[in-house]
Amino acid sequence: MDFAKTRAAITLNKVPQVTLAFWAIKIMSTTVGETGADYLAVHVGLGTAVTDAITLTLLIAALALQIRMSRYVPWIYWLTVVLVSVVGTQITDALTDGMGVSLYVSTPIFAAALAATFAAWYAKERTLSIHTIVTGRRELFYWTAILFTFALGTAAGDLATEAVGLGFNLGVIVFGAMIAVVTMAYYLGADAVLCFWLAYILTRPLGASLGDLLSQAREYGGLGFGSIYTSLGFLTIIVALVAFLTLHDRSTAADERA
Amino acid sequence: MPTQKTFHRIVLSALLGVGPLSASILSAPFVVAGSTQAQAASSKLGDLTSFRNLVADSKALLDKGDLVGAKARLKDLETSWDEAEAGLKPRAAADWHTLDKAIDRALTAARATSPDLAACKSALDEILATMDRLAGRS
Repeated sequence: MDFAKTRAAITLNKVPQVTLAFWAIKIMSTTVGETGADYLAVHVGLGTAVTDAITLTLLIAALALQIRMSRYVPWIYWLTVVLVSVVGTQITDALTDGMGVSLYVSTPIFAAALAATFAAWYAKERTLSIHTIVTGRRELFYWTAILFTFALGTAAGDLATEAVGLGFNLGVIVFGAMIAVVTMAYYLGADAVLCFWLAYILTRPLGASLGDLLSQAREYGGLGFGSIYTSLGFLTIIVALVAFLTLHDRSTAADERA
Repeated sequence: MPTQKTFHRIVLSALLGVGPLSASILSAPFVVAGSTQAQAASSKLGDLTSFRNLVADSKALLDKGDLVGAKARLKDLETSWDEAEAGLKPRAAADWHTLDKAIDRALTAARATSPDLAACKSALDEILATMDRLAGRS
């Protein structure tokens, strides 16, 4: 009975299992999303307002597609994550650069918004598990939480690297070390749900710092690949991993039917 | 099957641990290089010469009445300034914002539907003055 229930949950879960490929794509999607939005705003010259409107429209379209699907489809899921990453970043940037809200104010606000989302999610569903995203309502909680982790990750990350002056070199070390601690805690038996969401927040600034480390000029301490080549490299790896997951997913589904 | 899963977990945690460690070893020399450079430069933001040259070029073109040329130089300034944000801002966030706002005002002035040449010139002068002030030259 229990087994059948779990089995049904796994087949219908709308979001992926958390694997190494999951975290690799998640970390690289930050840089790709940010470069894409920056490219539209500055190089193409659309400006911030038009770019924000475009990415928000794309996100709504991708989210509608993701929610309509009856099961997890890798490319739709990851397209939605990349767009949530971009919009989450733009919300923080609009507050910081457009409205002059200090990162010291927006960081606790986003932390509170994320906590409120989890509280509402838990109050309604009695679980925050990402292994049973099997209803429309749970999926909306999931994506709302993800949006706020990106906004919070951007604000907290910018606060550390820019306002406090950590820089992206130390940023990679500090955020990487924090994720290593969360990973160790998880394998030592800490709460899996808590560890997942902490890692989800921390991989945002890690991804941004890592992207900066590769793209920034050598005179600023980067490796000097430039944002375009860094993002193209990341995008290639993401597409390859998503293709791999799609094929892997199909063979698993075939195994299950057999 | 469970043994395989345990093995995968061990590999995963090892990789996650090794990642940040190798990144820190790789980037350690750059941290040192970055901080010494920042100390050697006159402005807290470091060497702003390349950005200052673009503003001066734009100003010279504007003085000749070449608004299109001036706007093209300003676009070069916008893209290179934006590209360097992650490198420059951590050095002195307040200074970066002061200069960023000055550049923004010049871009807005030059891109107005009917640009006011005098306003454009004063906006460009304002960027140069801000850069010089930050470098402690005035």
